[in-house]
Amino acid sequence: MGVSIFGLAWRSLMNRKVSAFLTIFAIALSVALFLGVEKARNAAKDGFDNTISGTELIVGAPSGQINLLLYSVFRLGNATAEISWPTYEAIAARNDVAWAVPISLGDNHRGYRVLGTTQSYFEHYKYGQRQSLAFAEGEMFDDLFDAVIGSEVAKQLGYEVETPLIITHGLGAGGLTDHDNRPFRVVGVLRPTGTPVDQTIHVSLEAITAIHVGWETGARNPLADNIPEETIRGFNLTPRTVTAVFIGLKNRATVLRTRRDLNTNMTEPLLAIIPGQALAELWQVMSTAERVLLAVSAFVIAVGLVSILTSILTSLNERRREMSILRATGARPSHIMTLLIAEAAVLGFMGAVLGAILIQIIFAVAAPILSAQYGVALMGTGPGLVDAYTIGAVTLAALFLGIWPAITALRRSLADGLTVKV
Amino acid sequence: MTQPIVSLSDLSFAWPGQPPVLDVKAFELNRGERLFLRGPSGSGKSTLLGLIAGVLEANSGAVHVLDQDLTELSGGQRDRVRADHLGVIFQMFNLVPYLSVVQNVVLPCRFSKRRLGEVQAAGGAEAEAKRLLARLGLSDEGLLSRNVTELSVGQQQRVAAARALIGNPALIIADEPTSALDADSRDRFIQLLSDEAQKTDAALLFVSHDGALAPLFDRAIDLAEINHAASIMEQA
Ligand SMILES: Nc1ncnc2c1ncn2[C@@H]1O[C@H](COP(=O)(O)OP(=O)(O)O)[C@@H](O)[C@H]1O
Ligand SMILES: [Mg+2]
Repeated sequence: MGVSIFGLAWRSLMNRKVSAFLTIFAIALSVALFLGVEKARNAAKDGFDNTISGTELIVGAPSGQINLLLYSVFRLGNATAEISWPTYEAIAARNDVAWAVPISLGDNHRGYRVLGTTQSYFEHYKYGQRQSLAFAEGEMFDDLFDAVIGSEVAKQLGYEVETPLIITHGLGAGGLTDHDNRPFRVVGVLRPTGTPVDQTIHVSLEAITAIHVGWETGARNPLADNIPEETIRGFNLTPRTVTAVFIGLKNRATVLRTRRDLNTNMTEPLLAIIPGQALAELWQVMSTAERVLLAVSAFVIAVGLVSILTSILTSLNERRREMSILRATGARPSHIMTLLIAEAAVLGFMGAVLGAILIQIIFAVAAPILSAQYGVALMGTGPGLVDAYTIGAVTLAALFLGIWPAITALRRSLADGLTVKV
Repeated sequence: MTQPIVSLSDLSFAWPGQPPVLDVKAFELNRGERLFLRGPSGSGKSTLLGLIAGVLEANSGAVHVLDQDLTELSGGQRDRVRADHLGVIFQMFNLVPYLSVVQNVVLPCRFSKRRLGEVQAAGGAEAEAKRLLARLGLSDEGLLSRNVTELSVGQQQRVAAARALIGNPALIIADEPTSALDADSRDRFIQLLSDEAQKTDAALLFVSHDGALAPLFDRAIDLAEINHAASIMEQA
């Protein structure tokens, strides 16, 4: 029986390996870009929504709700102002508040943010589907200079329990601004969460106060270096201010009323936000950019598809003879059409499949880097329905585009008659 | 049996935008006959074969092939007549470059159920292809496994002949298949082709500008004898 029309299409493509491969590669790159954008944005949204859960309100000094969300939850940017300790105490003492966890931000260790808080943080901070923080190693901070580190901090810096660490003042690099006279000691390492917690170093609020003894002016007072640890431990280390407060309510139904109350009726001006709402607003801002990106990548696929047309149309000239041989041996117009459309579809299909494989490789390589650099764990980027749909759509589009060269080839072969002039 | 396999009457054909190239009052080719048709280059030989093969459509007149008037058939029906009953050999570049020798030979069986049936009855397409190739002097396995573009012109033409012959078509048309061959292999090729055609009772219509080949055939005519198109007269 010999070779089927699809066999012919395949062999004909293999006969033009370089051109076929380049076309397939162009499509693969465009499909990989599209799938990458699509998967990354879904994964980002999921990761995003899972960053914090179980916290009904976040309270900080008045700024914008996205700003407050960014610095308190994502450790991005800086608080412009803090709230006073008495205000925190007033919030915690409210009847409708079940728990209130203060946090204090502002310092770093080798680029990782240091978060001062209380032990109750480990009890109340939840992420994903209300999952609690868990320890991979060690336990909560207890002593003044104890530190609990996130999983990425441990992994990237190679730290474990008992590793000493020096906190740097502010968010800049270390050196002159190191709190090197007050070394900390790792006492606990958290399990990975896929949230910014993984990039954070947790210490007690008192520790934050303690390391800033002698920094009251904002710069180091060398005399303070000589204050012995014993003396510092004897100080009243209750902080004067905190950066933000995470709040859980006794009754979730009162959230709007409590928020209004906090926003308007406190002695100090405050901003209380509902994390879910703020996340949605933040996502709204990002989704415009993300949709533009998706549209651009869809256009890139169109460019890839055009390369199929270019490759087949330019091949037709040198294939006039091949077409007339096929016609002479009995091929009907439908065979010629099928042959060329099949070639286009094969190019589209192979390109799309290669693209889908390519993006998996890229994610496999990029995931550890992304998670280390930005604390985003890209989940759900594995092969899925979106890949199947994309491969199907690209193949179908290639198939339809193949009609063009198919008709061109047919017209020519009819005009050529039995023999082609060399 | 008395019916000719090809019969043209009052046929006229012109390429688009050109004066008529063919104007044939009457022409007949009998079943099993091996006919040599001579004509200078550009005289319309290939065009005539295209009309008989049903690839081109006459402007007027009748083209009977195997008792059917091609001018009354649709394009698809003409394609089927060609697929089922015609074998075609070109001047050169006869082979599909990306197919093997055997795949090239069995190609017509892909497009014609009748020919597929014939070769299956004879023991399978591949076996039949190899048998024909062997008859045409191509039996070396190493040669058969070679890329077709690496074969010599003479070998390529014999592969093309095997392809034209597979599945016992009633008519073989050959368009100057020997013009790229030297005198020796030319005569041998024609001998083999015409022997094989005779064995299967296929008629052979062989065109060439080289009148020296005429003695190798049952009958020889000049295209000018049957073609009365004015434009050809001017060229001559
Ligand atoms: N595909 C074509 N399109 C237009 N004109 C053609 C085509 N093929 C042949 N012709 C013209 O028809 C005439 C006869 O050509 P052809 O049948 O190839 O002659 P031959 O085979 O005897 O050399 C020539 O003038 C040639 O230019
Ligand atoms: Mg010719």
